[in-house]
Parts: sequence; C-alpha cells; structure tokens
Amino acid sequence: MEHEEGSTLEFVWITIVAAVIAGLAASMAYYGFAKGFNPVCNATPISIEDIEAGRFEPGVEEIAPGIYRVNIVARQFSFEPSEIVLVDPKRVEFRVVSMDVIHGFQIPGTSVNSMVLPGYIGVFVWEPPEGIEGEFLILCNEYCGLGHDYMRAVVKISSSSSLLEG
Amino acid sequence: MTGSYGVEDRFARITITFSVLLLLLGGIFGLAQVINRAPYFELPSFLEVSPKTYYTFLTGHGVFLAVAIPIFWITGFTAYLAPRVLGKNLRGGLLRLSLLMMFAGAIMAAAAILSGRSAVLYTFYAPLKAHPLFYLGAALLVLGSWVFAAAFFLQYLEWRRENRGRGTPIAVYGLLTTFIVWIEATVPLVIDVLKNLLPMSLFGAKVDALEARTWFWFFGHPLVYFWLLPIVTLWYYMIPKMLGVRIFSEKMARVAFIMFIIASTPVGLHHQLVDPGVSAVYKYLQVLLTLVVASPSLLTAFNILATMEMGGKARGGGALSWILKQPWGNPVYAGLAVTFIVFGIGGLTGIINAGYQLNLLVHNTTWIVGHFHMTVATIVAVGYIAATYSLLAELFGKGVKWPRLALAQPYLWLVGILIFSFSYYIAGMEGAPRRMLNIEGAGGPPIPSEWIYTLQLGAVGGIVMSASGALAVLVFFYSLLRGGIAVARIAPNPHPEEGDPYHPLLENWRLWIAVAIVLILVAYIPTFYELYSRGLAPVSPVGV
Ligand code: HEM
Ligand SMILES: [Cu+2]
Ligand SMILES: [Cu+2]
Repeated sequence: MEHEEGSTLEFVWITIVAAVIAGLAASMAYYGFAKGFNPVCNATPISIEDIEAGRFEPGVEEIAPGIYRVNIVARQFSFEPSEIVLVDPKRVEFRVVSMDVIHGFQIPGTSVNSMVLPGYIGVFVWEPPEGIEGEFLILCNEYCGLGHDYMRAVVKISSSSSLLEG
Repeated sequence: MTGSYGVEDRFARITITFSVLLLLLGGIFGLAQVINRAPYFELPSFLEVSPKTYYTFLTGHGVFLAVAIPIFWITGFTAYLAPRVLGKNLRGGLLRLSLLMMFAGAIMAAAAILSGRSAVLYTFYAPLKAHPLFYLGAALLVLGSWVFAAAFFLQYLEWRRENRGRGTPIAVYGLLTTFIVWIEATVPLVIDVLKNLLPMSLFGAKVDALEARTWFWFFGHPLVYFWLLPIVTLWYYMIPKMLGVRIFSEKMARVAFIMFIIASTPVGLHHQLVDPGVSAVYKYLQVLLTLVVASPSLLTAFNILATMEMGGKARGGGALSWILKQPWGNPVYAGLAVTFIVFGIGGLTGIINAGYQLNLLVHNTTWIVGHFHMTVATIVAVGYIAATYSLLAELFGKGVKWPRLALAQPYLWLVGILIFSFSYYIAGMEGAPRRMLNIEGAGGPPIPSEWIYTLQLGAVGGIVMSASGALAVLVFFYSLLRGGIAVARIAPNPHPEEGDPYHPLLENWRLWIAVAIVLILVAYIPTFYELYSRGLAPVSPVGV
C-alpha cells in the first residue's frame, strides 16, 4: 500500500539527505587532508616518572622569529608555565603532558582545544590569526577533580610594531 | 485475546515509578547546577553549593537521569508493550532476576555517589577513581538489563517461530532495535569495567587513560541511541495511531531502524576528536560513519512529518492548516510532538559537534550541554513522561488526575529548553566551558562578558525546565493517589485492520547484526591496533 506520490517524495528526500552528507564529508576531508587542518592527533608515550626526572621541560622557546615551541605540564590544579608570552607568533607548537589525571587545554575564542592525557605527550600546532594581541585565558576544560575550576593560566600576545609605538 | 500480564505489569509499574522518583532527584540536582554555575548570580546562602557538592550532584544528575532512568523506564515500557503486541508472556523468572539485579546495582551506585566519594561524573574517565561500589553497581545494573533483554529476545524468537511469514509489528520492531543497540553499547562498557576500572578502584592497578576513554566512548555513543530509540518507536507507533492514519512509509521506518543497528556504534571517536594519540584518518573514518548514522534520523524526520501532514489533512486541514489540526490538546500527543520538534533542532546541532574541525570550537563547552538537553533530556523529561501519562490509566489503572497540568508540562518544557539551550549554545560558541562551577572567580584574565549574561539567561531557562519536571512528578504521584481519566491508549487496538507488511530482507536480523559487527570491527580495529602497537602508557589512579 505504498503511495505512488509517496515514493517520488521519498526518493527526493533520500537524495537530498545523501547530497548534504556527501557535501559535509567532502569539505571535512578537504580541510583536513588537503589543507592540513586537523585537531590534535599525535602523541608519544611518556611516563610520569620521566617527566619528574626532567625529561620534559616546561617552558616557552622561540626557535626562529615567530616560531614557538611551548611545553606545558598540567597537574591538579595548575599549568606550568602559568604565563606564556609570545611576540608576533606565526606558528606555535604546543606539547602538553599531565602529571596525574586527564586535563584539558583550551584558549577560548581560538581553535586551541586539546585533551591532556597522562602518559602521553600530545602535540599540536596553532597558527594564530595575524595581528592578534592581548591577554587570553587558558583553562582546563576537562573535569579533573574538585579544584578543576581554578586551573587556569594566561597567554600574553604582543606585536613588536605596537611595542615600538608604545 | 487479552492475555494476562500480571508479572510483566508489576515489573513495569515498579521500574516506571522508580524512574519518576529518579527524575525528581536528578531534576533537583539540575536546578542546583544551573543556578549555581551562572556567573554573578546572587543566591541565598542555603542554595549555594561547594565544589564537592556541585560535582557530586553533577555525577548524580548524569548517572540517574541519563543512565538509570533510561534503563528502568525502557525495560518497564517494553515489559508492558511487547507482550500485548505479540500476545505472549515474558519469562517471569528472568523478569524477577533482572529486577533484583538492576535494583541492587542502582542502589550500590547511588550509595557510592551520594556518599560523596565518587564525584567522577557519569563519564568516569580513568585514572580519576571512584569508590568500587560505583563500578560494581553500574555493572550489575547493566547485567540486569541484559537479563531483561534475554527475556525479550526469547519471547520474540518464540513469536517468530509461530508466525512465519508475518512482518514484525512496528512497535516491537523498534523495541528490538533498541535492545540490540543496547547490547552493542554495553559490551565495551563491561570490558572497560572488568579490565580497567574495577582493578583500578579495588587494587590501585594502573590504567591507560586513552584506552579507557576509547572503551568508554565505544559505549557512550550507542548509549545515545538507546535513549532515543524507544521514542522513535513511539513516534512511528503512536503518532499514526492517534491521528487515525497509517505511517507515511512503513518500509522507510524499518530501513531507519536497521540503519540505527548498523551505524550507531562504530562512531564513538567523534567524542575523541581532540584526543592526542588517535590518527587523523581513523577519526575521519568515524566522522564519516557519524554522518551515516545521522541519516536515519533525517529519514525519520521526513516520515513523521509526512504522517502528521496526512493525519492533519484527514482531520480537515489544508495545505498548511494541517499543522493546526494536530491533537495539540492531548498531553500524550503534545509530549511526543514537542520531543520531535526539540529533538529535531538538537539533532541538527549534533552535526556541528561531529564536524571534524568545527568540533575544536565546541568541544567541552556549554554548547554540548545545550545539545544534549535538547536531545536526551527532552526525550526523558517529555517523551518518556508523555508515554507515562498514558500508562497511568492502562498500566496503573488510575488515569491522569490533572490532564490540563499534564498538557501544560511539555509546553512549559519547550519554553524552558529553548531559553536554556540557546543561551548555552551561544555561551559555548564563545568558548565557555561545561562542567565548571566557579566560572567567574577562578583566576587568570577576566572571563568574556558574553559568558555572563548567556549563562544567567540559561539559569532562567533551567528554572522553567525544572518547573516542568516538577509538574510531571506531581501529576504522576497525585494521579497514583487520586486516579483520573485516560488520556490515550498505547496498548494495540484489539483488531488491527491490516497485518504488518512483510519484507524478508528487513526481517533478517541476523544479516543486519552481522553487518553491524563488521562495521564495528572496521571502525575500531585500526584504533585499538594503533593504541596497543604503540605500547600502552598506564598511570596510577587518583582519588577525588
Ligand atoms: C530539570 C531540568 C534540568 C536542568 C535545569 C539541567 C541542568 C543541567 C546543567 C546546568 C548541566 C551542566 C552542568 C555543567 O556542565 O557544569 C547539566 C548537565 C547534564 N544534564 Fe541536565 N538538566 C536538567 C535535566 C536533565 C535531564 C532530564 C537529563 C537527561 C536525561 C539531563 C542530562 C544531563 C547530562 C547527561 C549532563 C552532563 C553531565 C556531565 O557533564 O557530567 N539533564 N544539566
Ligand atoms: Cu580540570
Ligand atoms: Cu556521540
């Protein structure tokens, strides 16, 4: 008892659904694999003992002008370093580890958003928008215990041109 | 042929009453959360909570509302409906065993949570550690639901042997799908509990955080479909029944259910898109499958809308006025329709969450909270409750005492959820984190001002939602005491006009379960291979 008219409508609807899905899939693949815009994916195992023994040094390092490597150690309930200073950043490689449980590392308002898993060094790259300046909140965005709310840090970004003017 | 279903009905009365009690408890937690986490909301001191209380409440809110209620309510609803549709009893012994296990499990888990020693939230990410009773209770609850599922499957297989060549009635078709998906979901959960979580909590054994997370989300996504599928079943079964028409396309409905079976599980990585240690290709593969599992929802949206249109026109509606001709004044219909509308909006925002790159902007923000209150919370607080209003007469023998209040309840929720979720969506797009009590006073640079008014507005919406939830609880218990009138009838009509269509391919459960297993293997073998071949990185547990 399928209706004639029903079948055409059904077909049209199924085609629309399939087309939308194919479009979404294609655009995600394009940005991910052609443009290389992927969320954090790389990780190398590292034990907490190794971090304690100094095999992972927290800190900010400018490898070339505007090219940074930032090592972050997260623990209940703080980040080290708790203040990151960047001048004219073009490419920032974050490497994040945890000393205890799962934490998050997020700079709200940017695309920096990663889980921090104990046992692994998570590595991801951020290319800040050009001309970005100011103080940005860093927060832990995965519940990690009763002090979770207080687990914050700051990234201070300045541009050398405005420093000269100032 | 009205059989006697005393054992089934007693089971259903107990589990459904218990679900409503859990809604009361979980709803109180929800209200406390939403007002406490709104920044700069001046609360009288007796309403203010400490972080310990907040996260204990939040754990209870997630576990009671999103895990325990669905298990209890769905088993009860199935125990009521399946025997009446199939005309066969469920095995009483299995029902009793299942009830015993589920209650023992729920009480153990509740004790572990309410004692304040298991504030690990309902995702219990290792190596954060809860009291052992938390995991034992959860496992027992789930195993009890397996016993129920076994009773249901046995009943169905018997019916099938006796009714060769007949199509499975749509209500049972949907409920079978629900329980098949539930088994798919809970196998990985049980593995995680036995392999990782119990040893961790009992003996302090080390665990790999990424591995435990992967098992958890292997469970966590099909869990979502377990919540949803009984409501999809009710849409397909009750909406045409109440409108006096047939489903627009019965075949498409069945195809949708089959797609839920094959695609609801191999997608858990879409919750781990920002996890280090899972390759981009594997994440992308499961994002693709996520888009596939979005399609049965879209098919359902179309099919139900078309059915509503047919029904509205049959009731004298025109090109657009069929919308007005729906039985909006019936609390059961109103509840199912509100769930349908709200779920439609919430479901669309899910496509953003699954956006492989867009996820970066919303992961662990209040956007997600907006999303799952439009989906699961609405399913529970409006969908399950709508069906429960009907059961007040046919199962409890009481009827609804205040049908007008019962009718107001879904609409009040609609108002509340729109305010709440859209506020939380906007806050989330501005990066406001979920799972956070003291968002404003926690150090670092000042929070963006957008977070303040959106989360405050969210609290207003949350208060309205809580009022709606309170109404549901009140109507339910007052009706039990006083009795009232029947508002709808879920049990099948005694003389179905036409038999159910028989499509051999769509009745071939074995085939579709096999396809589901193959897809699960394709999606998860690479991920686990990557994890184990790299070598696990176990760490010691940490108590809360
Ligand atoms: C009575 C009205 C309700 C209100 C006011 C409410 C409020 C909230 C709020 C504010 C949060 C987020 C807390 C945070 O992230 O810090 C939350 C989380 C949650 N809610 Fe509700 N809720 C309600 C009903 C429900 C219902 C009926 C369900 C489901 C069946 C539900 C399921 C959840 C889940 C699963 C979470 C996530 C818990 C977590 O992050 O661990 N809620 N709720
Ligand atoms: Cu945290
Ligand atoms: Cu999911």
